[in-house]
Amino acid sequence: MIDVNQVVSSLERNYILKLLKEGKRIDGRDLFELREVKIKTNFSPKAEGSADVFLGDTRVMCGIKYDIGKPYSDNPDKGVCTVMSEYVPIASPMFESGPPREDSIQLARVVDRGIRHTNCLEYHELCVEPGKAVYILFVDCYMMDYFGNLTDAAAIAAIAALLSAKIPGAKWDSEKEEAVWDGTIKPLTIHEIPLSITFGRVGDVIFVDPYLPEELIMDGSIAFAVDEKKQITSIQKYGSATWTVEEIMEISQKAIEISDDLRAKLNLRQYTPKI
Amino acid sequence: MPVLVPEPHDPVCFRKDGKRLDGRDVDEPRPFSCEVGVIKNAQGSSVVRHGGNLICCAVYGPREVHPRHLAKPDRGILRVYYRMATFSVHDRKSPAPNRRDNEISKVIREAIEPVLFLEAYPDSQIEVFIQIMAADGGTRCASTTAASLALADAGIPMRSMIVGIAAGKAQDKVILDLGDKEDKVGQADVPAVVVMKDKTISLLQFDGEMSIEEMKLGFKYILKGAEVIYQKQLEALKGKYEAIQLQAQKESEEYQKMVPKLTQEKPLPPSDTVVSEKIGEIKVNNDEEVQKPTKELKKEHKKETKKGTKKPTKKDIKKETKKVTKKKTEEIAQKINGTIENDPKKENDKGAKSK
Amino acid sequence: MEIIESIETPTREIVTPGMVISTDPELIPGRGAIREKNNEIISLFVGLKEIRGKYINVVPLNGLYNPQLGDKIIGRIIAKTPVKYLLNINSKYLGILKPLDAFKRNTRNRGYGKSVGTYRVKDDDLMQKLKMGDLLICKVLSGDRLNEPELTSLGQDLGQIKDGIIIHVPPPKIPRIIGKKGSMITLLKNLLHCKVFVAQNGRILIQGGKKFKHERLLIDAIHKIEKEAHTSGLTDRIKNYIIKEKKKRGIE
Repeated sequence: MIDVNQVVSSLERNYILKLLKEGKRIDGRDLFELREVKIKTNFSPKAEGSADVFLGDTRVMCGIKYDIGKPYSDNPDKGVCTVMSEYVPIASPMFESGPPREDSIQLARVVDRGIRHTNCLEYHELCVEPGKAVYILFVDCYMMDYFGNLTDAAAIAAIAALLSAKIPGAKWDSEKEEAVWDGTIKPLTIHEIPLSITFGRVGDVIFVDPYLPEELIMDGSIAFAVDEKKQITSIQKYGSATWTVEEIMEISQKAIEISDDLRAKLNLRQYTPKI
Repeated sequence: MPVLVPEPHDPVCFRKDGKRLDGRDVDEPRPFSCEVGVIKNAQGSSVVRHGGNLICCAVYGPREVHPRHLAKPDRGILRVYYRMATFSVHDRKSPAPNRRDNEISKVIREAIEPVLFLEAYPDSQIEVFIQIMAADGGTRCASTTAASLALADAGIPMRSMIVGIAAGKAQDKVILDLGDKEDKVGQADVPAVVVMKDKTISLLQFDGEMSIEEMKLGFKYILKGAEVIYQKQLEALKGKYEAIQLQAQKESEEYQKMVPKLTQEKPLPPSDTVVSEKIGEIKVNNDEEVQKPTKELKKEHKKETKKGTKKPTKKDIKKETKKVTKKKTEEIAQKINGTIENDPKKENDKGAKSK
Repeated sequence: MEIIESIETPTREIVTPGMVISTDPELIPGRGAIREKNNEIISLFVGLKEIRGKYINVVPLNGLYNPQLGDKIIGRIIAKTPVKYLLNINSKYLGILKPLDAFKRNTRNRGYGKSVGTYRVKDDDLMQKLKMGDLLICKVLSGDRLNEPELTSLGQDLGQIKDGIIIHVPPPKIPRIIGKKGSMITLLKNLLHCKVFVAQNGRILIQGGKKFKHERLLIDAIHKIEKEAHTSGLTDRIKNYIIKEKKKRGIE
């Protein structure tokens, strides 16, 4: 709606800042109000699980593939889950085709940590034979339309895709020394649903879920991953803004409240396939 | 290590009743649906579902060429990026583009180039990004269909729409629009792209064994199937606007009913609603601002007078205004509004003069 | 008479690229149409077909801005060289703004600052005056389809924008936002008491001052016009919409 590209003028910055200081947002939201989330799962028949998530106009498509591979030597009885993200040039005139950029890798890591450090996946269940064969889950997020706050959208997409996934069961064939299909297809066990809430900052004003023009002018942001036990499981600070300890504590509390509301509203468990 | 459940390999492509496994006839394309304007950042975009294929396409441009040395001084360049999502195929694909992706990008580019007017965009580029979210055989054909939709949606001038569809041969029968399985077990595959205006072929590849007669039949099927998809394309392009037109018509009708009520409540015409007492300062501003568009219009008239078409324009305007007052339809106003562009107007005036 | 009759029967018919819109040998293909074999005139755009006198045109519904002489446009400075500013003007080319066209030097060569003045200001001083990302209202001094247009920011209404916000619509829809003889824009200004400047390249400057709610409604109304640009009876509907929304949002 507002014409902003990579070069942002002081005009736009002042306008957005002026509105924020009065507690208003450029798209008419409150300071601590998220945009509407729409989820569609299983859009891709070739993926084990997939989710197409809209956060306002921001759109992220996520798909799950699996493979059988060797475990890490320090965790021989645990499966592996890898998150990858790609900023495809479809999403915005600012993105370019080519190898993944720093931003893209950082985003993937943030989503990855949100899943890994929460009691989300049952990693022991993803083990076929300790030390020899485990499941490797690939969670691939594609940014399809960029209107700010890709972190939260990607986190929702990743967890919705994991919930909707159906993975063939495996058993260990000791004669052939390889994992074989045991004839079953079942959903993944998901204990807790982590959600990510991002706060942006311009000057002294802190707000949730930055919209694209706000994201382009903001000094920095903080992403919180929150689990179902109302605990913060991961924090990532982006950008060059500095935050006081009080501010961080305050917005942590806010993040827990907002994520609770969001979790109740989305009811992500409904996407679990029934077998 | 390979994934646990291998893809079933079964050479049978036909049911006992002579139809194909998904119930289609030999010359019937797979179900097709498409949508335009789905990616709001892009200048033009489309989503195509063709059988099990799901393809997103976005168009950016014409814009500056990066890196600069690729720019051509006499014509624009078209760049096509065909990329597959990692989860679009049975075995996970590496995210980096491979040789196949690059080859298909090139053939799609060469299929689109004939319908564009690239010579009108020297030193600039048009970029077409194609992302395959699910692949089910015939992605290069479906991608071309999607690219054509996105280009039309972006408002880039095109000679014609293009439609991609494949023919092939499986179990000694010529078939149209091969699915993933038919593609793998079949004897031949002929992906083709049809320029719908004059029914010429702008992309053609062929792998396998086919006699000349079978080829002829294959092309017959291709032209028939392309027509079906073309109609769907047109529906999507028009549908985006026609739905709004219908909705607007309804609202207008409602408004017509409301008009007497509104006039009772607020008898003042909009130009009188400026309350000068309350906000005197702003009123001054408003007056200044109001003048701007009229000034611009005056300027247009001046331009016309420069060209020596003074008399006919005035006459025309008089005639128009007479007619307008007679029939007082707003549609006429819109007609003129919609085309405030200078060129055709001037040309028309000249035409009128010559008459 | 023929001309007027053709205007009276507006075709709100949507055509698509490659569609044969006429086979009449008398008609001349105008904007957005070309003649092919067998006297067939085909459309090049998704747009509205219209016949005006001898000419048949297609009005596109989306597209980029093409600079034309004398257009007032809003540009954003995205690059500098030692002797000129480069502006993004929402076209396929960057606009060129030379410092002599950007700043008033003395009263004599106002308007077109190219003529030699009484004294010479160093160009590098003038190159410091504007910053990257600054927005300017400019006029196109020279423009054709094949070269980068030269701009000037000297003249009435022109110059740097210091207040307000810019919103964006596809350039082909700009005529509808202005309306017939400025009717639509006058309606918006009168009902919502905001300053509006509509530039030909699809950028609209809105200055609402402290009236945030009015400004919001104005932006929504412009997006409604943008969405319904190809329909008829638009001015009435927008008026109705604004009156309704004003009640709903509690704006006087």
